[in-house]
Amino acid sequence: MMCNEWEAQLNEYVDGTLAAEARALVEAHLAGCAGCRAAVVELRALVASAADLPKRIEPARDLWTGIAARVGKREVRNGKRWWRTALAAAATIVIGFALYRLLPPSAVHHRSEGTGWVAVQAEYEQASDELTRALATERDRLAPATVALLERNLAVIDAALRESRDALARDPENVELRGLVASVAREKVELLRWATRVAT
Amino acid sequence: MTRHLGWLGFVLAVAARSALGQAPADHNRFQARWPFDSDGSVRIVDPAGRIRVIGWDVDSLAVSGRGPGRLAAAGTVSVRKLVVTGRAELEVHVPRGARVWVKSASADIDVVGVDGTLDLNSVAGAIHVVGTPADVTAETMDGPVELAGGSGRARVKTVSGAILLRGASVDLGASTLSGTIVVRAAGWQRGGTGVQRGKFESVTGDVRFDGELGRGGIVELESQSGAIALRVPATTVADFDLVTIAGSITNRLTAATAGRGVLRFSTGAGGAQVTARSFKGSISLEAK
Repeated sequence: MMCNEWEAQLNEYVDGTLAAEARALVEAHLAGCAGCRAAVVELRALVASAADLPKRIEPARDLWTGIAARVGKREVRNGKRWWRTALAAAATIVIGFALYRLLPPSAVHHRSEGTGWVAVQAEYEQASDELTRALATERDRLAPATVALLERNLAVIDAALRESRDALARDPENVELRGLVASVAREKVELLRWATRVAT
Repeated sequence: MTRHLGWLGFVLAVAARSALGQAPADHNRFQARWPFDSDGSVRIVDPAGRIRVIGWDVDSLAVSGRGPGRLAAAGTVSVRKLVVTGRAELEVHVPRGARVWVKSASADIDVVGVDGTLDLNSVAGAIHVVGTPADVTAETMDGPVELAGGSGRARVKTVSGAILLRGASVDLGASTLSGTIVVRAAGWQRGGTGVQRGKFESVTGDVRFDGELGRGGIVELESQSGAIALRVPATTVADFDLVTIAGSITNRLTAATAGRGVLRFSTGAGGAQVTARSFKGSISLEAK
């Protein structure tokens, strides 16, 4: 029987969405656990049987057309997927670390020192740019409606960022403003990360 | 006469075939049932259509549904994966204590009466949860999310979808970019303890908290340009810390007045902590 605590990782392992380090951990566990090995065989059989199902099923709504097209493209471009996901994850870690440095666990307490703020902003820009580039290469795999939604909300968030940064430029020591800028920046990274995840 | 009887027989045969519920050619029907642990884990992937998950007091997992899509399933008594290729309307009965993971593209997700852990993801579908799950994570880009009943811990995230959280929850977190957030938190009078921890963030959407704060609870509300509205019982004991950079603050709960976009006051010691931050949206505080 499969170890319950490994269930999520085994599913991700079979789906091929684990990073190298996590994959190695799973493989090490599998080497010593017959129950999980059997579960992996069964999950692989499930994935295979799902793959054997009819490839073309006429959709009842137009929306499915876009999704089916993306699923079809995935197999061809599978080799590129891993590094893009890894890039997105790395960018998220960078910005997460940057925001962690900026904000303590509770937003009630604000770090008053200005040191590191410029560096944090630069790190944020880098992470945001990396995610944007990763997303650009996968953009055609998103449904048109999702792309439209993404663009609309990125415009909203960029406008909010510009506005709060302008205000911060006029009042650079305002810790409340820094907190708000950091929150909007985090929202942007979250949105990009989410879109990247949906696309891959 | 014989010819008429022949036609009548043919018509009756066609009618009987219809009455027996033959599915249209483009619709598959599926139905299956497996023994399942009371706290087993089920993973459901259904790109489009509708997914309804219902908790029941039976140690088995049952799935029924229909659609042009096909269903594949595999697993054990403790974990099972259901994968739909295509579009399908699924109804899945799970033991109340089950852990449920659902992923969809456009399918709406409804969960009723599950007390275990829920992890629900959709791109464009709506998510509705009714019941008292121990832990809920719900994410959708464009669809709305509604949690009704209460949960131990809930984390909800949308991009543009509206978020409605109502019931007796302890630990709530909601984040949206352009959607609205409405929290109606029940207090101990209605079986809850009030919110012990709540964090609600929006960039352009309004944020409204209407409910009771747990003693010692911490509630944070934040919006870049949306309005923040806070309605709490007049007898609430809390420290309030409200700041807006370019918006306005209205206080109808007490006589305290804001100065230069800042309002800080306390209605007693040992109560909750309430923080609201806004860049240019208004902040209002009033008694319910």
